[in-house]
Amino acid sequence: MKSFNSRRARAIMVVVATGSLVLTGCSENKGGSTGKDSKKDQAEASQQSKAVVYADAAASTGPAAEVPGAKPGGTVEVYQEAGLSHLDPGQIYVSDGGQVANLLYRGLTNFSEDGKGGTSVVGDIATDSGKSSDGGKTWTYTLKDGVKDQNGNVITSADIRHTIERQYAAFIFDGPTYLQTWLSGPKYRDALKDGGFGSKHLPANVLDTPDPKTVVFHFDVPRPDLPQTLAMPGYSVVPAKTDTKAKYDKAPVSTGPYKIAEYKAGKAMKLVKNTNWDPKTDSVRHQYVDGWNFDFGVTESTQTSRLIADQGATKNAIQLTGSVESTQIQDVVGNAAVNKRTIKGYQPYVMSLNFNLDRVKNKAVREAVTYGVNSKSLIAGEGGVYGGDVAPNLFAPTLPGYEPTYDPYGRLKMPQGNIAKAKELLKDVPAAEKKLVFAYSNSEAGQKRKVAIEDALSKIGITVVAKEVDSASYYEQIGKLKNPYDIYISGWGQDWPSPATVVTPIYDGDQVADGAPNYSHINDPEVQKLIKKALTQEPTEAAATWREAHHYILEKVLPGAPLWYTKQLQLYGSNIGGARYSTESSYIDVTRLFLKS
Amino acid sequence: MTSPAKAEGSGPSIALDPELDTNPEPAKGPEKLEGRSPGQLMWQRFKRDRTGVICAVVVILYFVIALAAPLLTKLSGTNPYTLYGQDPTYADTPVLDDFGLPLGYFGGVSSTHWFGVEPNWGRDLFAMLMYGMRTSLFMALGVTVLVMATGVLIGLIGGYAGGRTDYWIGRVTDFFLSFPSQLFFIAFMPVVTAFFVDPREATPTYFRALAILIVLWVLGWMGMARLVRSTVLSLREREFVEAAKVSGASPWRIVRKEILPNVVSPILVQFTYQLPSTILTIAFLSFAGVGFVEPTPDWGRLFAAASKYAEQDPSFMFFPGTALVIFVLCFNLLGDSVRDAFDPKSGR
Repeated sequence: MKSFNSRRARAIMVVVATGSLVLTGCSENKGGSTGKDSKKDQAEASQQSKAVVYADAAASTGPAAEVPGAKPGGTVEVYQEAGLSHLDPGQIYVSDGGQVANLLYRGLTNFSEDGKGGTSVVGDIATDSGKSSDGGKTWTYTLKDGVKDQNGNVITSADIRHTIERQYAAFIFDGPTYLQTWLSGPKYRDALKDGGFGSKHLPANVLDTPDPKTVVFHFDVPRPDLPQTLAMPGYSVVPAKTDTKAKYDKAPVSTGPYKIAEYKAGKAMKLVKNTNWDPKTDSVRHQYVDGWNFDFGVTESTQTSRLIADQGATKNAIQLTGSVESTQIQDVVGNAAVNKRTIKGYQPYVMSLNFNLDRVKNKAVREAVTYGVNSKSLIAGEGGVYGGDVAPNLFAPTLPGYEPTYDPYGRLKMPQGNIAKAKELLKDVPAAEKKLVFAYSNSEAGQKRKVAIEDALSKIGITVVAKEVDSASYYEQIGKLKNPYDIYISGWGQDWPSPATVVTPIYDGDQVADGAPNYSHINDPEVQKLIKKALTQEPTEAAATWREAHHYILEKVLPGAPLWYTKQLQLYGSNIGGARYSTESSYIDVTRLFLKS
Repeated sequence: MTSPAKAEGSGPSIALDPELDTNPEPAKGPEKLEGRSPGQLMWQRFKRDRTGVICAVVVILYFVIALAAPLLTKLSGTNPYTLYGQDPTYADTPVLDDFGLPLGYFGGVSSTHWFGVEPNWGRDLFAMLMYGMRTSLFMALGVTVLVMATGVLIGLIGGYAGGRTDYWIGRVTDFFLSFPSQLFFIAFMPVVTAFFVDPREATPTYFRALAILIVLWVLGWMGMARLVRSTVLSLREREFVEAAKVSGASPWRIVRKEILPNVVSPILVQFTYQLPSTILTIAFLSFAGVGFVEPTPDWGRLFAAASKYAEQDPSFMFFPGTALVIFVLCFNLLGDSVRDAFDPKSGR
């Protein structure tokens, strides 16, 4: 065969390439509709944010309900841009680890979703979501029979004790700290320095394991959210016998439906079926496919291009936590066949422009900025209507207690900012207070935000002094109490579906500290009173209190201007069945996937 | 047209194509036999090279356009900072669809937006390109000239002086070469900013420009110095240099009059490569977040941003890309022509 490197071939190539460029460039863009109606979307989203139900023993008994049309067999390809930072359950707090943990590990409880927005907490290796007594201060869990790890060892209450105690050890530093803090206070590490590996253990009045099947937690105040906390991947079981401490991060022991067959950190991971996992004990997870091939280092734009093309092995592929590259959104949504293979939903993050309340003391300035910011140009930098949605308030659509129509600053009506109103508010403000130092992360996304913020605020007469902050240490810099900045953008999402994981960490005055996520340094006695009240209430009563706190914070204090809600848009191959969005993880639900052929 | 009178009178010292003579007057006796400097000869040869002249015009045009950017954007009535797609004041003339891609033909080309608009924000591409060329061209020119001058000077000293001087200059060059300049810049910029700029004041753009200039200069002259040194080393032993030495010329004169004119061609070639690559280096620095930041328009960053939309909005890359290709091509061809004009023996 003649080589293609002839001059003629090259000439043809050039003509074809230029021709196609000219053709694409010349076709008129009449502005096809995105088919997006954000009001309708948000109303639908609010259905997803029903309060979480604590399920009983019947709902916690396996096997899980069959997925319609599900077939066993095959291997799912998983694309992911960056390698996993941790595999040790105790270290897992971020989403990529959480997705993998759902295949590998089991905890005392787990989230179960009905696909219509209802989320419940079921017992995972416990028989139910937990029995509380003593007004919510004591929680008792009974373990199911026949739960084994991948080596065939039965999971007992000693393993649960070990799982919790090892979180006190120094080698666990990246995981959630809710449970430890509740049990032993903020300086919990001092309570058990060797993490239960020595002879010292947590006393029975804190954590009690009277027999191999029972675990009892004792708290000093009511902790109604405990079942949801225990469902976090970070509190998955680590069997005591096979714990290798720091080395566990590379070679963990599986309790879930799959186990690790091969792991090359940052490159690839292969999961195979865990034969010791008994479907009769698990009411959420399935084991339809034979295995999973994780492919790390595939960039989001490559993932998107491959999945749009849908050829060969990519037909069996999913995106783990990656989403459709923002520039390629139109190619996905504009093509009906591709659009069918997407997963859409709101992520739990609310992006807001925080005011440093130690510096921006004039509420008129804060209000003017809130009226003046242009949510639309900020969202444009994030990928447009599929990347984000205008946020009228500080609660995300995924949060129970979300109010789609609560819009005290008229953002839904004027997402590009109410310049007239802002100018009016600033009329009597002295010039010195109209100069705001805006810190932004010096990345591409950060620079885009800078342009949008500068553009919007200069229109209402505020002098924006933009300061770049190294992107790797952005959150560290704005987290410093004595930071020299006035305004900065940050995002926060719930840890489980309860306003307690939003209002408490970012608006509680007790949590103002270096590095804490209370970036606006709000310290308001009324807010604290409401938080204390809500934390001890049952979910339904608490909802009203949280709502009151939310309204008070946004209208009376205004620590930050709500900017946008982030959205999820993921793509999967045509051979993947059972794909749906998980409100809880805000990614594709990996527990129910199968291959159609 | 050949002038017979001139051809007759030409001595061997000006055995050029007589057509090149700028003096159209007929020969008038022996005064006509005056010699021409190498510069004049070069100029005459250059003028004959049509490609060279065209490229020179194009390159000069680029610099003029860059200088006149504010005037040109006054003509188009746009500026590079307004977000035409997002600004509520321009809401009645939408330029973007819901996906943030430009409406209309060829990336939103219209009577207001001559080259179309940028996706997502709808900034005017014409204005961004004009101002971006200004930033990139003049920064690159400044850096390149500084780098060239320093490199030539150090190379000449090292090459001509030889011995211990050459050894130490060589080691210093090696030392600087071992600095990874771009990584150094990424590490260095935040420190300098923290040191010189008040934490509650914005980093001024001239400060960024100066920092880029200095770092690219200090960490960029080594290649040139080595090149010049090696050329000078071989020239130093040549007969005409020996002759000049014997006739008592000072080292400074020898360097200036005998050696420097002979290293002009490698310098020019290097210059024509250095300038476009400096544009790209500056673009990389912006991309890494230590160079110019948004919204300062930058040609290189415009090009980098366009590559992301290559599939969806190819015309966004078309204008800056074409402009860059033409510029780099013309600049390199110009360099070739100038070299040929200086040194016809090396020509094609």
